[in-house]
Amino acid sequence: MTPLIQPQDVPYLPRGVRLQGDHVRGIRVLQAPERAMQLDQIGEAILTELDGARSMAAIVAELAVRYNAPEDQIAGDVRDFLTGLIERRMVFVKDIT
Amino acid sequence: MAWTKPTLTEIACG
Repeated sequence: MTPLIQPQDVPYLPRGVRLQGDHVRGIRVLQAPERAMQLDQIGEAILTELDGARSMAAIVAELAVRYNAPEDQIAGDVRDFLTGLIERRMVFVKDIT
Repeated sequence: MAWTKPTLTEIACG
C-alpha cells in the first residue's frame, strides 16, 4: 500500500463525513454521503483524534502513550488505516501552505 | 485495552 499521508501531514474529516455510533446494531460507523465504513474501537480512537490541527505524527505519539505500545507499530498502522480512508475520500489531508 | 491493527469494513448502503 502506497502511503497517501506523511507523518507531518494534518488529517481531517471533510464536510459531510462524520463519526456515528449505531446504537441499534452496537457498531461504530464512519458515515459519508454515499458510503459508510464500520470501525472497530481502535479505528474510532484514531478518528476521534483528527482535529484538523495536529499532524499524524503528533496523533501517533499520543496514541503510543495511551496504549503503551511501540510508536513504530502505531505509526505504520495509523498510516495504513488513514491511507485506506483517503483513497475512499473519507479523510482529507490539509494542504501545507 | 491493547493496541491492535484497526480494521475497516465497508457497509453496503441501500
